[in-house]
Amino acid sequence: MFEPSAVAVVGASKVEGKIGYEAMANAALFDGPVYPVNPSASGELFGSEFVSSVTDIDDDVDLALCCVPGPAVPDVLEECGEAGVGAVVLYSSGFAEAGDEGEELQETIVEIADEHGISLLGPNTSGFLVPARNLRCSFASGVEEIPAGNTAILAQSGGVAHTLAYQSRRQGRGISAMVGLGNRANVGFAETIEYFDGDENTDAIVLHVEGTDDGRGLLEACRASDTPVIAYKVGQSDVGDFAESHTGALTGDHELYTAGFAQYGTPTVDATDDLMDAAAALGDCPTPDGPNVGVVTAQAGPGIIITDRIQRAGGRLPKLSESTQERVDEILPGVTYADNPVDTGRPMPEFGEIVTAVAEDDRIDIVLVYELFEEALGLPVEDLDGLAERVGKPVLFATEGIEETLAEEREALEAAGVPTFATPERAADAAGTLARYAQLQAGQPATDGGTGTTPTVGDAAEPEVTADE
Amino acid sequence: MSEETPAPIAAAREDGRHTLTEAEGKELLASAGIDTPSFAVCADADAAVDAAEDIGYPVVVKVSSPAVTHKSDWAGGIGVAVGLDSADAVRDAADEILTTADERGIDADVLVEEAMDLDRGTEVIVGGIRDPSFGPVVLTGLGGVFTEIFEDTSHRIAPIDRAEARSAIEELQSLPLLEGYRGSEPADVDALADAIATVGDLVTEHPIAELDVNPVLATTDGVIALDALVVLEDH
Repeated sequence: MFEPSAVAVVGASKVEGKIGYEAMANAALFDGPVYPVNPSASGELFGSEFVSSVTDIDDDVDLALCCVPGPAVPDVLEECGEAGVGAVVLYSSGFAEAGDEGEELQETIVEIADEHGISLLGPNTSGFLVPARNLRCSFASGVEEIPAGNTAILAQSGGVAHTLAYQSRRQGRGISAMVGLGNRANVGFAETIEYFDGDENTDAIVLHVEGTDDGRGLLEACRASDTPVIAYKVGQSDVGDFAESHTGALTGDHELYTAGFAQYGTPTVDATDDLMDAAAALGDCPTPDGPNVGVVTAQAGPGIIITDRIQRAGGRLPKLSESTQERVDEILPGVTYADNPVDTGRPMPEFGEIVTAVAEDDRIDIVLVYELFEEALGLPVEDLDGLAERVGKPVLFATEGIEETLAEEREALEAAGVPTFATPERAADAAGTLARYAQLQAGQPATDGGTGTTPTVGDAAEPEVTADE
Repeated sequence: MSEETPAPIAAAREDGRHTLTEAEGKELLASAGIDTPSFAVCADADAAVDAAEDIGYPVVVKVSSPAVTHKSDWAGGIGVAVGLDSADAVRDAADEILTTADERGIDADVLVEEAMDLDRGTEVIVGGIRDPSFGPVVLTGLGGVFTEIFEDTSHRIAPIDRAEARSAIEELQSLPLLEGYRGSEPADVDALADAIATVGDLVTEHPIAELDVNPVLATTDGVIALDALVVLEDH
C-alpha cells in the first residue's frame, strides 16, 4: 500500500473536478509510473497513456486508486486480483456507512479482497499521502504542498486526516504519512499502527478515533508500538445512560476508550492542535523518564500561565536542586526568580546557559522554555543545539513575535532538535502530554486534570527512578 | 474460557436460564474468593429456621427464584425481610414468601442470609461486562448518588492485576470516602482491588455478559459482596 513501485488510477478522467481527474493529478506526482485506467477514454492524462483495464498493464502495478462508484467496485477488485495488485484505495461512498444495502456491498468487496489477498483502504476515504515518496493518493487539492516530516497521521475520517496534514504544514512541521481510514474494510487502526511503527521515517503516530468495533485490537496495537502513539477520541458527549446504576448503563463508549488508552500506555488529547503538538514533542525529542517539568521563562506572565497550566495538563513542577539554583544565581546574580520556573525577567545573552543548567538538573525530566523574540538577541540556538540529545530530555520552546522576523531562528531551533510552539498554553499542553506519556509507559497512572491528585507548585518530590524503555 | 464451567453457571445453563439467582451468583463469587455473607437456600420454613440458627441472628430472608429478579419489589415488598432476630420471625417471613409463590404458581425457595451492618463500611459497586468492541471490562464506583448522579465511575479493560485495579479506585473522585474521613475507618482498598480484579477474571474466563456486584460493602478488614446479579451470554 504505502511502498508501491507502480500505481494505477482506475476511473481516471479528463474532466477537471471529477475525483478521477483530481486523484490522477495528485498521483501523477509519484516518482514511479502511474497508469490512468478507463475503458471509455483514450489518449493521455498527465503524460501517461490510458489503458482499459488494470489487467492490460504490462508492469508490476501494486497499488490501485479506485475512483469508480460503489456498484462498479466488485468488478474492479476482481480485475485487480487478476492483475496481482496487492493494495487498493476505495474513494467511493455508499458502503457500510449507508445502510443495509451498502453494508452488503462492503461485505462483498471484503470477500473479493480477502480471496485475492488485497489490502483495502476505505471505502469512503479521501486516501493517503506519503510525502517523502511523493505518493499523494488523495483527491483533495493542495496536498502536493504538504511537506515530509516524521509524524504519521492515522485518522478514521479522511476529512480529519487532511485537516491534520494541512495543520502540520501551516505549523512548519511535516508528516511521514497521512492515512484516512474511512470504513476500514480490511485495513484498520491495528494494521496501520503496526506498519508505521516499523516505518523508519515515523517517530510519532497520531490517531483520530470516532469508534471502532475492535477497540481491544486498537489498544493492543498501541501497546505493542515502540513508536509513541497519541490519540484523539471524539464523541465525549456520547455517554451511557446514568439513570440506572448497573454496569451496562454505566459503561459508555468514551469511558472505555479513555480508560483503555491510558491503561495501554497511550496519552489522549482533546483537539487536533494538541494532537499535532504532542506528535512534535514526542517525535522530535528523547522520551522523558518522568513527569517533572523545569520551566525557564524570560517574561513572568507567560511563565505563570505555563506553570498554572502544566499541572492540569499532567506535568509536575519540582523544586530545582540546590546546586542548580546556585548555578542559576552564578550565571545571573540577582535573577528575578531562581527556582522552578526560573524567571530571568527579560531576554538576555545568558538565557541559553540558564536553560542548560535547568536541563542538567537531575530532578527535571522535561524542559520548557518561553521567550518573546528579541531581534537584537535572537533565540539561543547555539546553546540549545543538541542539548536535548545530550541530556536525554525533551526541550520545548515557545516564542512569539513578528512571524517573518523570527522564522529563521525558529526553524534553526527546530533543526537543532527543539520543537517550537506558538503559545504558552500549547507548549504547556505538549509538555503535559510528554509527562503523561512518561508515566503511562512506566505503568504509573498519569496525573490528569481535575482529579484532585495534582501536586502543588514547588512540591519537592525526589525524582522518581523509572526504567528506560 | 476456562475448561471447567463453575457449578452455578452450569446449573443455570441446564435450566435454560440466562440469569443466575442471587444465591448462584454469590456461590460463583465465593468460589472465586470474594467474601459473601453466610447464606443457605431453603425449600421450606423449617429448613429456613434451622439455617438461621446455624448462621446466627439477626438474618435476612429473601425470595429465591429464577422468576423473581427484583426481589424487594416482588409481591408488594414481602420478597425481602430484614432484621429477623428470632425463629418465629424467620418462620413467618419464609412462610409468607413460599405461600405467595405457590399462589402465583412460581417455583421459589427462600434465601436465609447473615444480616450485615451497613455502617461497618462503604457501599461500592463492582461490575464486569462484555463490551462488543473491547471485550471484558470492569468498573467500580461508590454506591448510590456518587454513581447515579455524579457519574463517578472508573473503568478498565479486563483482565487486570491488583495494581491496575488499585489505580482504578484511586481515580475515583469519591476516593477520600474510602480512605476514611472525619474519623471514619479507612476501607481495605487492597481487598477491594482484588475483588475488582476477580470480577474481571470471571468475565474474562466464563461466558458472562454482565456481572453486577452492587453493593459491595468495603470495610476496614475486607470486602463483602451483598448482592450479585450474573447474566450469561447467549449460547
